[in-house]
Amino acid sequence: MANTKEIQNRIKSIKDTMKITNAMYMISSSKLKKAKMDLENTEPYFYTLQVALARVLRHLPDIQHLYFDSRSEIPENEKRRGYIVITADKGMAGAYNHNVIKIAEEELAKHDHTRLYVVGQVGRHYFARKNVHIDKHFQYTAQNPSMHRARVIADTMLEAYENGKLDEVYIIYTKMVNSVTAETDMIQLLPFKREDFSFSTGGVYNEDIKMEPSPEVVLDRIVPNYITGFIYGALVESFCSEQNSRMMAMDTATNSAKEMLQDLNIKYNRARQAAITQEITEVVGGARAQQNRK
Amino acid sequence: MNTFYLRVVSSDKVFFEDKVTRFVLPLEDGEMGILAHHENMVIATSIGEIRITTADGRTVTGVVGEGFTQIVNNRVVMIVDSAEKPEDIDRVRAKQAKERAEERLRQKESLKEYKQTEASLARALTRLKVTEKI
Repeated sequence: MANTKEIQNRIKSIKDTMKITNAMYMISSSKLKKAKMDLENTEPYFYTLQVALARVLRHLPDIQHLYFDSRSEIPENEKRRGYIVITADKGMAGAYNHNVIKIAEEELAKHDHTRLYVVGQVGRHYFARKNVHIDKHFQYTAQNPSMHRARVIADTMLEAYENGKLDEVYIIYTKMVNSVTAETDMIQLLPFKREDFSFSTGGVYNEDIKMEPSPEVVLDRIVPNYITGFIYGALVESFCSEQNSRMMAMDTATNSAKEMLQDLNIKYNRARQAAITQEITEVVGGARAQQNRK
Repeated sequence: MNTFYLRVVSSDKVFFEDKVTRFVLPLEDGEMGILAHHENMVIATSIGEIRITTADGRTVTGVVGEGFTQIVNNRVVMIVDSAEKPEDIDRVRAKQAKERAEERLRQKESLKEYKQTEASLARALTRLKVTEKI
């Protein structure tokens, strides 16, 4: 049986680790609260934008626009695909990073001309180590997502798309299904698929709408805004999921630390008792030996 | 006075939502006023100042970023990047932003950077212009 000193040392080190996991749990929960509020604040904007875009598209059934051009003249296996991959800046979040990276790897294996735009340190380091070609100038943190960062990312992607450097743009992120489960998902950002926006129009009178200055200019304005809004939403949802996974991971860690402490405490008490029993036996034995000599 | 329903939504909040009688918004080539029962339209709007006259006669001004406005069935929805009240604007910050943007414009930049600088200059100028009045 291990001696009491050893057990005491272990108990102390587990207690220290538990303090850290507990603190990380608290930090994550307060960050999660803030991120959720951000998401709520931006919801009306994004939702209104989506409805407006659907309405414009309904009135322009056959518009030719860059953002709707599926570039069918390029064969499927030669299309250049860009992926925005949203990971965390830190580990310690359960399977969160792993799930995102897994989807990205599957896509890399499927297609030839791929380019990764990775948000967050964990993903960047992972792909750099594996010698996967990632955009070096694309350095954004996953912490505290802001509208400004989303706009810069959207500008980068739109520029690459407009110049023909990319033919398709996808985003891989983690969305919150409810407060307990998160789901990793991949969405195509560009080009737009018209079907994504076709709401049922049956029986609804289609009002005549004038576009000022022209439908193209209006779309030029709406689409980048929509992309920015979508990227922002994805950043915030990923951040929420990250904090949520970290909370859960830290909660599990704290719980298992508690269990270990309980086990060790019992062991410690037994060892202590054994030592005391042994001491008593020795004293009694010694005393008896003295008595016998008299 | 005839009224219509107006909603100004920016990326981080709903800036304004009420019945109004008049709404003036900035376009690429000047300003445009909307009264009740306007023709159905979707308009691209630029960085500038909006002026709203509410149903009870108050005037609300704001500084908005790029976006667009749709008018359907006497309901107007304006969707913009950002919307601020003049009293919330920090003049010192706007002035610094203006100087920064002017400095950057003097240097050679890529087209993307040029556009971004131009937009931030326009934002700074509008902020300064609107806050001058109070």
